[in-house]
Amino acid sequence: MLAGGFGFITQVKVKLYLGGVLLICIALLATTTPVSAADGDVISVVFPDIKEPYRSIFEQIIEGIEDEVGKQVDSYPVRTDTNINELKDSLQHQNTKTLIALGRQGLAAATALDNTFKVVAGGVLTVPENESKQRPVISLTPDPELMFARMKLLQPSVKRVFVVFNPDNNGWLIRHAQIAAQDQELQLVKYMAHDLRTAITFYKKFFAEANGRHDALWLPQDHTTVEGSTVLPFVLREAWEKGIAVFSSNASHVRRGILFSFYPDNVALGRSLATLAQDNLRLGGDYNNSGIMPLRDVQSVVNQRTGKHLRIKSRRLRSFDTKLNE
Amino acid sequence: MKVSIVRKQLILFMAISLTLVSWTAQGASPSEEEDLALAYGDKSFISIASGSPQPIAKAPSVASVITAEDIAAIGAADLDEVLETVPGLHVARSPLGYNPIYTIRGIATQFNPQILMLVNGIPITGVYVGDRSQVWGGMPVENIARIEVIRGPGSALYGADAFSGVVNIITKTSVDIEGTQAGMRVGSFNTRDVWLQHGGSWGEFDVAAYLRVGATDGQRETINADALTGTPFTLAPGPVNLDRDAIDGRIDVERDNWRLRAGYQKRDNGGTGAGVASVLDPVGKNYGERISSDLTYHDANFAPDMDFTAQVSYLHIVEKSDLTLFPPGTDFSLLFLPGPVPPGLGPFPNGVIGNPYKWERHLRFNVSATYSGLQDHKMRFGVGTQNDDLYRIQDTNNYILIPTVAGFFPGPRPPLGSVVDVTNTGPFVRPHSRRVTYAYAQDEWSFLQDWYLTAGVRRDHYSDFGDTTNPRIALVWETAYNLTSKLLYGRAFRPPSFSELYNLPNPVLTGNPDLKPESIESAELAFVWQAARSLQANLNLFRYQMKDILRPDTSGIAQNSGRQNGRGVEIEMVWDASSSLRLSGNYAYQESIDETSNQDVGGSPQQHVYARADWRFTPGWFVNSQFNYVAERKREFGDPRTDGVPNYHTVDLTLRKQQRSSDWDIAFTLLNLFDADAREPSPSPGLIRDDLPLPGRAWRFELTREL
Repeated sequence: MLAGGFGFITQVKVKLYLGGVLLICIALLATTTPVSAADGDVISVVFPDIKEPYRSIFEQIIEGIEDEVGKQVDSYPVRTDTNINELKDSLQHQNTKTLIALGRQGLAAATALDNTFKVVAGGVLTVPENESKQRPVISLTPDPELMFARMKLLQPSVKRVFVVFNPDNNGWLIRHAQIAAQDQELQLVKYMAHDLRTAITFYKKFFAEANGRHDALWLPQDHTTVEGSTVLPFVLREAWEKGIAVFSSNASHVRRGILFSFYPDNVALGRSLATLAQDNLRLGGDYNNSGIMPLRDVQSVVNQRTGKHLRIKSRRLRSFDTKLNE
Repeated sequence: MKVSIVRKQLILFMAISLTLVSWTAQGASPSEEEDLALAYGDKSFISIASGSPQPIAKAPSVASVITAEDIAAIGAADLDEVLETVPGLHVARSPLGYNPIYTIRGIATQFNPQILMLVNGIPITGVYVGDRSQVWGGMPVENIARIEVIRGPGSALYGADAFSGVVNIITKTSVDIEGTQAGMRVGSFNTRDVWLQHGGSWGEFDVAAYLRVGATDGQRETINADALTGTPFTLAPGPVNLDRDAIDGRIDVERDNWRLRAGYQKRDNGGTGAGVASVLDPVGKNYGERISSDLTYHDANFAPDMDFTAQVSYLHIVEKSDLTLFPPGTDFSLLFLPGPVPPGLGPFPNGVIGNPYKWERHLRFNVSATYSGLQDHKMRFGVGTQNDDLYRIQDTNNYILIPTVAGFFPGPRPPLGSVVDVTNTGPFVRPHSRRVTYAYAQDEWSFLQDWYLTAGVRRDHYSDFGDTTNPRIALVWETAYNLTSKLLYGRAFRPPSFSELYNLPNPVLTGNPDLKPESIESAELAFVWQAARSLQANLNLFRYQMKDILRPDTSGIAQNSGRQNGRGVEIEMVWDASSSLRLSGNYAYQESIDETSNQDVGGSPQQHVYARADWRFTPGWFVNSQFNYVAERKREFGDPRTDGVPNYHTVDLTLRKQQRSSDWDIAFTLLNLFDADAREPSPSPGLIRDDLPLPGRAWRFELTREL
């Protein structure tokens, strides 16, 4: 019996030992990072040093970048008072060839680094025109082409899309939109406004003449032409009463009754930025590699109550990633 | 799961986009933060966007949703604190362990079987009394993702006990936790809790786990007079006994369309409150254990336009009470002196002892489907079966009840007055089981633009008392872009519990096998109005009629004898006064009449006001204040106390530091800041003469950390 006891203890010891070895192997596997295929360019990231909840957004973008690159990248939080020379030294020490600049602070830091590195930017809404020509920038604003395509899917009879915009903020976006509309066989009717009062007169004009079957309204992300406490309630009421489909570039409007919108898929955006940085073109994420580009890495959100009110088929409403007001 | 992460991104994005738009316009540098939509985002948006795998309350109804963010903001540590904030719902207390009585719209009795409590859609009802548990001991909130409360009858979907309302507690899944969190809490009355939560992926499985261990000495307010007051044996005035130890654990494992959950809940050394017999019992202890598990298969695209769910679930309940119903030294023969003493009465040197133990198990199987293939229709179907089994009883005691001209009194059990096992000879109830099978169907039909008619019915077949059929109809009119109007009608039932059916003869409640369920019919008018971007208001008006209410007759035998009707109104408002200040509150008025006596039912407040302010005074720091006013509670018919229950109002204050990074989150709460003398009514005939005191001023400190 004693021998049996020892035998048992030995068995347990062996099992523990093997178990320990197994655990160590698993741990090693888990922490070993695969070697990336494109190991040549070192990519680093600068992003704004801000608190939550915004920090998570940039962390998710970085996650996507690392996913695409296949290894961890060095990321540097920056502020207005960040020492640019120190930053430049750190980046050069890491052999950085391409810099991904995120957010306004990131872009400002990259600009201050003055062409030391190739720069690709993202996570900003818009940039002044002179800055954007030098480098590819992926905006946070959803690509109008995706929105027009979705509008036609929901309501195939739509022929015209109206938009009120401020050319100082969104001139570049409307140029994209014009081409996208033509591709979708839609007529883009544009009204330029530099302040809310002018914008409201255009909205009133639109609703007075609009036909629910053929016309739809697009609200871009623009503080001078779309605003939450007067413009939006007016648009919501008129749209409901007249049965007009309204979609917005600002996803938070959907909760208030706008029919649908898109919002960034942060991780996918990170992957696209990494791809841009690595100079590859990818199917499905075709950014044209120069100047500021609207975002194609998006998720969709719809207000089902509004959709049902407009008699849109429920099957089409179910095609959205997030559905509100079921 | 990717989808839920993406929904979190949506919330984050909403917060950012609102800010970025203003940055673009003003050219301001992004060093300023505005924590808008996350802290004060619309509740219903967040709960829907967080993507629960078990959508609930799909039928139009009057519902309130309380999210984990709300629970944290008000500094709640227990479910009861959260439920008190629901319009029309007030948490009263029973002398028995201060068990909560969730009274909705004036409908509640001591054991409170009229409200159905679900955890992740699965009932936790015990079959002996039809309540949540007689050894409740509170429910912690750290692991709750959200709570949905439906007021009004819900049997057309949920079956038994969805009488006054339904409370569904949705626990956190791995995406709700995302990482590992450790927390601890200390507070008044030597209350201490420590917990651990983890959410993450283990290979192809998404896992959420939760473990909490806690204990408290409980509040010690004084019971001035109990049922023995006036005799030499009373322990009153004396403190209420509310100590307990608690363990809660939960695991949730998901892979593709499958989800396996298990839960464990133990309450030990639980104090008896003001006593089971309305006699202070500082020695008595309660033990309760609940084990639950369920396996669910859910496929949103099971067939074209069809969402399908199949589920099997198991619940095991153990309740053991070791009670000293009357204190040592009690001798009822002394009360009859100097006259003749009824034979059988005598002294209890160790007190009157009763130790009822019960074991229950419940096994459920159900399938349900939603079909949306027909344009303008959305249909739901479901069938299910369950077995409710009170499978073991143990009863030991040292007394028998002696009938006298003055009523029944305990006398020492012959021959020696020692504790004897009467499980097989004369327990309080014998083991029984029942089987229920049910089927329900519902259709939401959009018969005109903006008009929806929902009609549903459920039929339950009970192996003991037979069948019950419960319909509901709802007419919803999307009146305007910011207004929804609803007209609702429903019927619900509460089946007789095993105590009402099978209790062996005793003077308090004797079972009657020929019972039918209680029934309620209710009609409601409800409005949901988004008055402005920052102001939302709800208004509900209701009427109800209850019949066949189960009550003991003069011999103590349960009968379907009562009728009750009621009506009232609930008003709710949420106002975002600024981007950092939200004010919200509700007012409920109800009037319920017992038709036997034609008087107010008593117990529930006729008026209830709740108000709350949430203020973010600097990024990451929040102050919350709550005001609760409970008023106009009448006495039950037959209660000799001529004064009504005194009104009370309490104020709570919470200071919280909360940042979504690896920092510590801390919260400090002061409850009943002004030390109000708040009391909940003791039942008729007022054996606890001065009602049940709630705690005076108390404090709580909580610390959590992401690991």
